[in-house]
Amino acid sequence: MAERSVNYLQRIRLTAMAMCAAVVLIMAALWFPHVDRDIKVVDTLFVLDITDSMLVKDARMGRETLTRLDWSQEFVRQAMLEMPCGSKVSLAAFTDSRSLILINPIEVCANYHDLIQVLHKIEPPMAWAKASEISKALFTAINQAKDMDPEPSIVFITDGHEAPPLHETLYPKFGGTPGEVSGVLIGVGGTDLQPIPKSNEDGEIIGYWDVNEVLHVDVYAAFRGDLAEAMANVQRTEHLSSQKHDHMERLGIMVGFDYLDMPTANQLMRTLRAHASARTQRVDYDPYPVFAGLALLLLLLLYLPYGLLLGLRKRKT
Amino acid sequence: MSFTGFGWTMPYLLLLLPLALLPWLNQNLDKKVAWVRLVPVDPLSKAISFVLRSLASLTIAALIVALAGPFVPEQLVDRYGQGAEVAILVDRSRSMDDPFAVVHQPAMRSPHGDDSRRRVSKDYLTEFVNRRPDDRFGYVFFSANSQELLPLTYSREAILATIEAGAMGRGLSDTNIGNALIEAAEMFEREVYRGSRIVLLISDGGAVISEEEQAYITELYRQNNLTLYWIFLRPMMSMTLEPSEDDNLLWVDTVERRLHEFFKGLGVPYRAFEAGSMEDFANAIDEIDSQQYQTLVVQDTLPRQPRADLFLWLAMLALLLLSASQLYTLWGVRKAHE
Repeated sequence: MAERSVNYLQRIRLTAMAMCAAVVLIMAALWFPHVDRDIKVVDTLFVLDITDSMLVKDARMGRETLTRLDWSQEFVRQAMLEMPCGSKVSLAAFTDSRSLILINPIEVCANYHDLIQVLHKIEPPMAWAKASEISKALFTAINQAKDMDPEPSIVFITDGHEAPPLHETLYPKFGGTPGEVSGVLIGVGGTDLQPIPKSNEDGEIIGYWDVNEVLHVDVYAAFRGDLAEAMANVQRTEHLSSQKHDHMERLGIMVGFDYLDMPTANQLMRTLRAHASARTQRVDYDPYPVFAGLALLLLLLLYLPYGLLLGLRKRKT
Repeated sequence: MSFTGFGWTMPYLLLLLPLALLPWLNQNLDKKVAWVRLVPVDPLSKAISFVLRSLASLTIAALIVALAGPFVPEQLVDRYGQGAEVAILVDRSRSMDDPFAVVHQPAMRSPHGDDSRRRVSKDYLTEFVNRRPDDRFGYVFFSANSQELLPLTYSREAILATIEAGAMGRGLSDTNIGNALIEAAEMFEREVYRGSRIVLLISDGGAVISEEEQAYITELYRQNNLTLYWIFLRPMMSMTLEPSEDDNLLWVDTVERRLHEFFKGLGVPYRAFEAGSMEDFANAIDEIDSQQYQTLVVQDTLPRQPRADLFLWLAMLALLLLSASQLYTLWGVRKAHE
């Protein structure tokens, strides 16, 4: 009996000490100063293709099939949500032969609303010319990224459909160093050839591009009379569009970008983070969860129903 | 997930809340009692036991809630400010790549020169935005077409980033001012009227507006009570918008002057700034500031506020009472043993 009561006393003392410790931990959670913590952020310039071929509805996202442009916008939105606060985002549109920077890099969390507003303005009516020279646009995006501070990684979203088509050897060459600016090419669109909607100034679809309205060979060949006969046998499919995997891959190698075919936002972030250009951003971090978590653990240990547990074990044996 | 207006950084931790019931499952094994009925029924100790268990439950629950990271989401709050809503209308045509205010003769195009009109326009706009802290800004750019890019926003970071982007790269195509003026006015039509509304045009101005467009613009600007400012980036140093006595014959009846005349006849407050020195411009802005004092409702965004502290306080107070009672018990039992 005496032994038992010593135990009883010890137990009460232990409980009291544990409770006091928990109080101290909670006080620490309340008043421990914030600490600086470095997180890895990736600053990103998103370039969206706004040429008419992006209006083809063959991009799968989950169970839905979206137009390539809608897919791009939703993809950028999701990617922005995946980014840790402190990352900076810039947006650009591409048509004709250049990328037009619309908004310079700004912090993604505080400016999420405004970034979304600008993102949804990136639509065909913005186009100042109806051509789709992807390689040149990609090169201008890379050049302009170099002028930005901090220098962003580029996420270039396109279906890879060049219009007018490129010559086999006379295509634009990249003047810079591959990989100097890091980035990812995002391919969007299915593999089957689809008719391309034609949009007017207000962005309404007014029909489809006809087989005779587009160039089926490159500009150089088109203006050489002596090749006319040879050209007559060329497949006339440029008024139809699919995602051009081979071309995208070649472009990617040329500028040192990875090529991903309709990835998830999560996959994109992993690829971007794997690049060296991730910047460390110092954030103010409140370490209260550590202390509050320990206090909670201590209390749970105190209040675990040992009686019940012991009872169960006894019943088993 | 939210209740009572809270947002949670780690909502799934709330699934741990049933753990708060643990104190009620705990059986008293401190003492062996031969027969439970022998213990007298004591309402006071029953009540005390109830209170202690409640306190323990409360502590555990409050800690779990605090760990789930409650916060009040960012909120828009109204305050009264003195400012205006400004639609910034930026010329992105090719001519804006030309140098600004050449002294002698038109020089060659220098899209990457620091003196291109577009780069100069960026400096002026940045100055304007920085000098008017209570204003709300929107951004429209135009060339052959006009395109609203950023609807009216209070975020200075966003508007400045958009202005900066406007200075990058080369110009697009022709100038179509008429269309642009309409687009800028239409930006306001969708908005609730809050106070003075300004369209700030920055352009080198070389464009003609058709008579039909002129009539429509006049109507639109009068109806919406708009004020028009034009920052005119003159191509040549000596060129002015107002005719003067020793006028250069070259400037008589130019498109720029005709545009200026049209704006003067619009019937809405209008003012042209002939961009010269940045200092003059800054003074001119301060001057319109004092004229334009009109109270309007300004919306500020309060960033999200963490509220974990609230629950930590709750947990601490409950646990303080609990530990006090435990210490008292310890003292009592010890005394009994002595």
